[in-house]
Amino acid sequence: MNMTTLSNQTRKDNRREEVQKRKVPRAGKGFATALRYLLLVLVSLTMAFPFYWMVISGLKTNDEIWQFPPTFWPETFRWNNYVDAWQSAPFARYILNSTGVAAAICLIQVINSSMMAYALTHMRFRIKGVLTGLILVGYMIPSTAVYLPSYLVLSELKLLDSYTGLIVSNCVSVFSIFLIRQAFMQVSHELVEAGQLDGASHFRILWTIMTPLVRSSFAVMVLITFIDQYNNYFWPMLITKDPNLQLVSAGLRSFFVEGGAYGLAWPQIMAASAFTIAPLLILFLFTQKTIMQSVNITAGVNKN
Amino acid sequence: MRLKLWRETEAVLFTLPALIPLLIFWLGPLGYIVYLSFTDWDFMSPDKLFVGLDNYSYLLTNSEFYRSLKVTLLFGFGSVLPTIVGGLALAMLMNSKIKSSGLFRTLLFSPWVTPTVAVSIAWSWIFEPEVGLANLLLGWVGISPIGWLKDQNWALVAVLIVTLWKSIGWSMVFYLVALRNLPSDLLEAASIDGAGSWDKFRSITLPLISPTTFFLSIILTIQSLQAYDQINVMTQGGPAGSTRTLLYMYYQSAFESFNVGEASSIAVVIILICVLLSGVSFLLGRRLVHY
Repeated sequence: MNMTTLSNQTRKDNRREEVQKRKVPRAGKGFATALRYLLLVLVSLTMAFPFYWMVISGLKTNDEIWQFPPTFWPETFRWNNYVDAWQSAPFARYILNSTGVAAAICLIQVINSSMMAYALTHMRFRIKGVLTGLILVGYMIPSTAVYLPSYLVLSELKLLDSYTGLIVSNCVSVFSIFLIRQAFMQVSHELVEAGQLDGASHFRILWTIMTPLVRSSFAVMVLITFIDQYNNYFWPMLITKDPNLQLVSAGLRSFFVEGGAYGLAWPQIMAASAFTIAPLLILFLFTQKTIMQSVNITAGVNKN
Repeated sequence: MRLKLWRETEAVLFTLPALIPLLIFWLGPLGYIVYLSFTDWDFMSPDKLFVGLDNYSYLLTNSEFYRSLKVTLLFGFGSVLPTIVGGLALAMLMNSKIKSSGLFRTLLFSPWVTPTVAVSIAWSWIFEPEVGLANLLLGWVGISPIGWLKDQNWALVAVLIVTLWKSIGWSMVFYLVALRNLPSDLLEAASIDGAGSWDKFRSITLPLISPTTFFLSIILTIQSLQAYDQINVMTQGGPAGSTRTLLYMYYQSAFESFNVGEASSIAVVIILICVLLSGVSFLLGRRLVHY
């Protein structure tokens, strides 16, 4: 099946090329392609430049970084800046905090999103329509708008300044439910019925039949959630005051304001920013196919 | 009968793990904030005094509020429009057969993955007025230096540049998917009929990708209403309130001045804007979008 579509695609491509050849003279086409590459290279370099600037500025001496016009290459590579920055604030701890919290949130979201999505797609009950509507509205209203009352709720529950509070308040995501619901809708209902005839419970059908079928959607969901939570700043900053509990964004920001003495130790600040983003860029390099796939699925969400 | 009842109960049980937190941390707070907006609470006093619509009438006579509303609108248009147009332009550039398109895509998409706080710090160095890179570039084309984050005419522009930098690759990927799904037969037929590239783009491509445009404009608008990290790191709403969006004003009046009532009424305004936008987009979507 895949093979035929593929060859269909190539045939179409060939045909398209023929048409193009007929329309555009060769020299013109060559020029257009060159222009296209030139533009793409320029834009891509511009987009990547801030990353380069971050890493390079982290390697300069303090005098060098305050020099105008700035240099694009440091005289000597001051790797020591990175070591300094790493040691002047508990960055290892911050990164570990973020990773742990994000992983816990991912795990819980996998469970509750899949159960909710399963109920919404393959079970019959009265308030199904209401729930679907509720989730749709939840997608539209920014969660930041309710941070104040959520803060009060957490404080009532005595969960401020704790990972439990951070994890529990983030443990459900409308987006994740959407994503999994979208995937479960593609699974034929007959599969569920067959499972029921064999005497399997819904729980068992969900975990042994449905979940393996939509593995790739789960991968997308986990990656997007992980990245979101690792980068999360506003909410964690509001509810955790204990420096030991800080996540990496908040930790970096305090280093920027206090430890880095607001702009006096720029090379260290840039070095710290660089190793804060490094884990994510590496994760992205290895999983970019899956992450890009999220676009395919999210784009499908709005059609329902 | 009992079997049917059990079936209903079982289904509801399945929804509970997600529903309970949703109620506690989302639907509950939504109701709570509407209630708080009718009080004059300050976080400290044991009683919440009911003041009716006072907070709202205060907002509507407060010039700071209108200023924030204006900043919010400018931020919204200034981020959504270029992200969509730029994303589409990049996707068109990438659409035909391009060598190493994977590399380009990675480079363009990577800002979206990185923590806003970290990249905003790097950008504030680029926007440094004395030795920053932005002013060096301006100098090359003969423009005199700008105060960027310290200048109230330019601070919002600087924040918008970072916002655009972060999201343009993301919107490009959406358009790449949409362009790949275009029916090539239709485009070929148009070519054979003698349609130029611009005609094809305007009368075939643009209408056919309208669902993507529509979806992106909604999501990006909601994202622009939520923008906080880059504003907090780069300007803290300043200078002189020139980057204070409604969300930022809400945050400041809640957690810096402890005016829970006033803050809640601002939040309700933000929520109303979202409801209004969703309503409008729902109606527009039915009419204008070709699926």
